[in-house]
Amino acid sequence: MRKALGVLLLALGLAWAQGDKLKACFIYVGPIGDAGWTYAHDQGRKKAEAALPWLETRYVESVPEAQALPVMDRFVKEGCQVIFATSFGYMEAVLEGARKYPNVIFAHATGIKRAPNVATYMADFYQVYYLNGLAAGALSKTGKVGYVAAFPIPEVKRHINAFALGVRAVNPKAQVLVRWINAWYDPAKAREATEALLAQGADVFAFTEDTPTVIQTAAKKGAYSFGHYTPMLKFAPGHVVSGQIVRWEVIYIDFLKKVKEGVYTAKNLENVDYFWLLQHKAVEMGADYGVPINPKHVPLLQKASLTVGGKKVSVYDRIMTLLKDMQSPKPTFDPFTGPIQDRKGVVRIPAGRKASLEELLTMEWAAPGVVGDWPGEPR
Amino acid sequence: MEEALLRAVLFGTPILLASLGALLSERGGVVNLGVEGMMALAALAAFAVGLEAHPVLGVLAGVGVGSLLGLFLGVFAVSLRANQFVAGLALAALGLGASGLLGKRYEGVPLPNPLPEGVLAALALALAFGLHLLFFRTRFGLYLRSVGENPKAADLFGVSVDGVRYGALALGGGLIGMAGAYLSLAYRPSWTDGMTSGLGWVAIALVILAAWQPLRAVFGAYLFGLLFFLQFRLQGSVPIPSEAFAAMPYLLVILVLALSGRARAPKALGQPFDRGR
Amino acid sequence: MRWELEPNPTRGKVLGAYALFLLLALFLLGLIFLAYGVPPLKAYALLFSPLTDTLGLAEVARRTIPLLLIGSGLALAFRVGFFNIGAEGQLLLGAVGAAYVALFLPPGPWTLPLMFLLGGSLGAVWVGIAAWLRVRFGANEILTTLMQNYLAYYLVVYLVAGPWKGRQVFGFLYTDRFPPEAQLPRLGDTLVHWPTLVLGIAAALLLQTLLFRTPLGFEWRILGENPKAARYLGLKQGRLLLLAALSSGLLAGLSGVGEVAGIHLRLLEPAQISLGYGFTAILVAWLARGRPLGVLLTAPLLGLVLAGGDALKLALSMPFRVVDVVAGLLLLSFIGAEALSRHRLVWRR
Repeated sequence: MRKALGVLLLALGLAWAQGDKLKACFIYVGPIGDAGWTYAHDQGRKKAEAALPWLETRYVESVPEAQALPVMDRFVKEGCQVIFATSFGYMEAVLEGARKYPNVIFAHATGIKRAPNVATYMADFYQVYYLNGLAAGALSKTGKVGYVAAFPIPEVKRHINAFALGVRAVNPKAQVLVRWINAWYDPAKAREATEALLAQGADVFAFTEDTPTVIQTAAKKGAYSFGHYTPMLKFAPGHVVSGQIVRWEVIYIDFLKKVKEGVYTAKNLENVDYFWLLQHKAVEMGADYGVPINPKHVPLLQKASLTVGGKKVSVYDRIMTLLKDMQSPKPTFDPFTGPIQDRKGVVRIPAGRKASLEELLTMEWAAPGVVGDWPGEPR
Repeated sequence: MEEALLRAVLFGTPILLASLGALLSERGGVVNLGVEGMMALAALAAFAVGLEAHPVLGVLAGVGVGSLLGLFLGVFAVSLRANQFVAGLALAALGLGASGLLGKRYEGVPLPNPLPEGVLAALALALAFGLHLLFFRTRFGLYLRSVGENPKAADLFGVSVDGVRYGALALGGGLIGMAGAYLSLAYRPSWTDGMTSGLGWVAIALVILAAWQPLRAVFGAYLFGLLFFLQFRLQGSVPIPSEAFAAMPYLLVILVLALSGRARAPKALGQPFDRGR
Repeated sequence: MRWELEPNPTRGKVLGAYALFLLLALFLLGLIFLAYGVPPLKAYALLFSPLTDTLGLAEVARRTIPLLLIGSGLALAFRVGFFNIGAEGQLLLGAVGAAYVALFLPPGPWTLPLMFLLGGSLGAVWVGIAAWLRVRFGANEILTTLMQNYLAYYLVVYLVAGPWKGRQVFGFLYTDRFPPEAQLPRLGDTLVHWPTLVLGIAAALLLQTLLFRTPLGFEWRILGENPKAARYLGLKQGRLLLLAALSSGLLAGLSGVGEVAGIHLRLLEPAQISLGYGFTAILVAWLARGRPLGVLLTAPLLGLVLAGGDALKLALSMPFRVVDVVAGLLLLSFIGAEALSRHRLVWRR
């Protein structure tokens, strides 16, 4: 009898523990792969699950935009309480799903439209790109820096611009040669675009593509490069200078904790927008976790210098100072501080202020020094 | 300029190898639409062996897996006399899918000692000449062509139609496998799901451009490699949208085909051989 | 001992062959699921789960629509000997035509018919280029239509990244949303745009009638089965070929209209417009063995395979490649079974 009661209690306890788990479900736009956007989200999901014992997660990869709503239907049916949609293209589906399921909490990455049960979030790299641009400007001997770019959308344009501003801050004559490959994942295109840029004299590389191909290709010819999304040092230990690394788990853990604690409900997300940067630790600068600059290249950057406010400082010190500033709770520096003209000479950010969030999210212009086709460039 | 020619060869090589592989079996009358999947699976096998053992062994593994998949296609396309087109498409899906499922743990792993592309490129070129000799200077080549043109006659002369077709699929599969190995062991060099990114389909199309001639396949593959590189080399240099440059390789392939005139496919291409008919 | 054609297999043999190969495919799939730590029976159940609820049926139907339209056109084209593998590109051209009407012409009750008209025509023109190149220069259409897919892809990228980029899309690669007049009605809150479905069924019936009940169809069949005979009979081969090709392009174009007017409601990045329907429809057409009516069966079948694979990857959090593996194995089992049932082993030389 007592034993039976014990079993019963245990069973009840288990059921309670089970029922108490928060179920968060992730919709990925691409395959998880090895290094790109979706891989980074999946790392975030796994780390969040490891950090929060009460969390249960599910995911589905390679969901085309038009498929998102049926996937949400399924997820809701299976008891998902929080749904993370990790691509801009899911916007319409998220808003429609949110209307259909008012008690489910939705969070939309890179999104711009919210609702009582739809929050938006983004971990953005533009500050890191600026810092990497400083390093790139210092390291380029030819004054030509290559950028292999995925699709001409504001996020990518913002990153290229921040990078180019950094490059030009060190070397005002430098050019950032941009090549569009019109794909998020295509190693062959990334390789040949890099080869084309190498042939044109580029000797330092940054990119937006889901594989380390650009890094591998550049390293073969002895060119420096900067990793993207995930640590890529291991693919070319002698040539990866730094890079942009995202930590989605920082946002996921914060968000889910607040859901668990009842701070976020399906009624009060209208104004919940994470646009998290260095200061929130959602992104970091680095060739690897905790390695802001490859030690091999530190001396080179220490030797190079730039003029800040009439004073000569080493590029390395400048990067480290700005990094520290932007990681602090109240950063004073922002790469997009006016006056900034675009490459056609039009003033885009007037003197005395920083770019607004909206300006960042809808950036279409090209920074000075950017060379190459620029689809959608404002006249 | 030299740069462009070098890219034409180095990016043309995997396309050339895969094209030669598809061409070989088509000469024997069997259409192989499974190239993309065969390449994908061979690239994985090559990478796995190359990482755990040695890249040279990796190439052998790629060739071996390619051959086995060729024989597997043969079970349907030759023995069962099933529809070759559907069997090939199914194999393409299966190969891509299986490589994605099996390869998870090799994603994101750098290859410490990649193979030099140049050596494999030279080998591919030699293989093209070798195939040319095989087709037109050897007994097997004669059998192969006769099986592709008129299997009934070949059968009457005592040639084993099924045997020759299996042989062609195995050899061709090996070449396709080598193309996959080139991608994961030399070109990238690492492995990711979907890394063949459609090159298999291009290779199949180039068989037609090559008019089923191995030496013309060299021209076709290098031409495609050149155009693929030039789209990025020229992008931005003139005020033409980047998308127009991206479309250029495909447009020029159509033009070359239209201008090069009528090429005749092997007569029995795509037809299963039934002795009774 | 040899393997020869059996013209009239018994029904039992056919069923037996299919059962054998299906079991074989399920067995192999089971091994894969076991390797992934998933109980095979649960996985099988999931594979067929789309048939058990309305959500799932809607998913099957949604995929069936373009497969039906493209598949019946391809069944005709293949039968006549025009190997159009550029349906994916023709679908995109159809989407472009639809988007033009929806975005740049004054909206009204004529909008939807005009979208289908222009979209279908663009699809037909697109394949018409390949057909003309074949008739005029002997250029192989497998190559030209395949290459045209890439051209269509970049055309759409150019449009959505450049001149047609929407003003309310925050710089992303979309056109603006179509006005309500340019949106197809859907069944309930599913994504099943039923007018296109009706169109697809009508297309299959119409092509079947054309092919088997009219003089034109008779000529088409002769050309496909025996080009030599067609020449002796003095048939206008070029014109017949062109007509069949144009029909297949037209239908693929219509399917593109359906996808953007029924589901996306805008033109967008080309890889998102179609879920590879142009390629899957090749299988639909081949499995229907050149009979447009057969597509009414094979299109939903492939729709089920795709939807079932999706249910699997979702419910078990498996890699998306599981869909390819399931589709590949099942297809191989279908054609293996078909081949087996149409042949017999004979114990003599």
